[in-house]
Amino acid sequence: MTLPFSGRKDGLSLSEALPDRSLFILVAMMSFLAALTLTGATGARTLSARWAGGAAQLLTIQVSEPDQPAPQQVGAPTTTQQAPQTRAQAVLAYLANLPEGTHTHQMSKEELAHLLTPWLGESNKTALPLPAVIEVRLPEGAEVPPTLEQTLNTRIPGTVVEHNAEWSSRLRALAASLLACAALALATVGGIATMITALATRTGLATRRDIIEILHGLGASDSYIAGRFAGRTGILALGGGLVGTILAIAPLVLLFRMAAPFAVSSLQSTAATMPDWRTLPSMLPTDLLISLIALPFAAAFIGWATTQTMVRLWLRRLP
Amino acid sequence: MLSNLSFSVPQGGFRWLLGPSGAGKSSLLNLLHVESLPARGTLEILDQHITGNSPRATLMRLRQRIGMVHQNYRLMPALSVADNVALPLRLQHRPESEIEDEVYAILKWVGLGERLNVPAANLSGGEQQRTAIARAIVHRPGLILADEPTNALEEPQAHKLLDLFDELSTMGTTVIVATHNEALIRRLPRPSLYLERGHLMREGE
Repeated sequence: MTLPFSGRKDGLSLSEALPDRSLFILVAMMSFLAALTLTGATGARTLSARWAGGAAQLLTIQVSEPDQPAPQQVGAPTTTQQAPQTRAQAVLAYLANLPEGTHTHQMSKEELAHLLTPWLGESNKTALPLPAVIEVRLPEGAEVPPTLEQTLNTRIPGTVVEHNAEWSSRLRALAASLLACAALALATVGGIATMITALATRTGLATRRDIIEILHGLGASDSYIAGRFAGRTGILALGGGLVGTILAIAPLVLLFRMAAPFAVSSLQSTAATMPDWRTLPSMLPTDLLISLIALPFAAAFIGWATTQTMVRLWLRRLP
Repeated sequence: MLSNLSFSVPQGGFRWLLGPSGAGKSSLLNLLHVESLPARGTLEILDQHITGNSPRATLMRLRQRIGMVHQNYRLMPALSVADNVALPLRLQHRPESEIEDEVYAILKWVGLGERLNVPAANLSGGEQQRTAIARAIVHRPGLILADEPTNALEEPQAHKLLDLFDELSTMGTTVIVATHNEALIRRLPRPSLYLERGHLMREGE
């Protein structure tokens, strides 16, 4: 004998009581915005970390007329056997006194030519006198001696020291403000999603008041009724979150392409074509990938928790 | 407004709840169904001590042990007769196979065995009342509260229902029935509670 039961039917019929389509679409839109905001925030955080960790420790020293003999220091001992130092060698010799772990590298003529290709063309032969360029990377935590430029200029006049820390701190401040904007945008999106869910839940409660009162009269607990509503909005929000996040992937790829020049070191790589969809996960930063995967679940949690709270508060009015 | 009420009904007791319209019969039944709580004083229902501050979870658990037949039936109009009657069992998380057996047996008994699939909204007044009665007793409650449970029933059905209440009472279920139907009271002479303007005026045979 089989009775005409329809599963766990309890009369709430939430698919009719809640504005399903509106809730789904609005959550999808909110998730789309959140995905783009997360992408921007991740980009800003990554650049900030690069500037903070790498660029701040980097010095670039230009030595004009690098192959000319270095001026003799007053009081320095001279020997007939020792070949006179060039200006570039003198700078490198002084840089050897920097803190342990400091890495110095004098760029070769080929490297310099490659670096200047966008301005001087492919030819290695140029009539312009090129300075020697020495890259200095200080170890983590080490600071540049404040008198470095002055000392080098005294010993090797015309030496230019470019310290990236000043630019780095400005860019980090910019990145921090971008991160703050992103956090504010995310909080706003979350707030709007909460309000939308709360309004949808109120609508559902208003249309099902009689049914809820009957269930309550039969002994249905607050957790049962709240769970039924929250389960429904949670699933809708999960679906909306998934769709919104997937739709955000296309503009995300575009942003990724726009940000490529900042993400790669080689100038030639900036001409990279649109990334392949299949390789996208491996190209995205891990934290962004995790955030995007977590986004639909966060939307579902917001929907579930908001509805639980709303329904339980509403049920308190019932006897 | 009910006041100065003090009475007790032993387990398995049967009481008629009598009094003129507006005397407070429905209010007393609602109080016993813990849909309202006493502003002062206490209730003890099915060994559960109830005050105005009792936790909601306690009240909900107690309601699951009470079968209530409301005057206006309070059925889910969109649900079938079978689904309506199955509600108390589902709220107790009984297995579906057990629910099917219990629901079918009780609906056959109230004469709705052929109307299982009909939405409650399409039932006649008498059928709705029988569905409400079936829902109130399907989970074998410890206390049955009925507010004019026979006013839409024909006499044979009303007598049949009364016999069932009496049998349940004999088996240990406490039954309190509010009615104006003197023929029923004469048919089943049992102690009564007589209310007037919210006060308990008489108690006894």
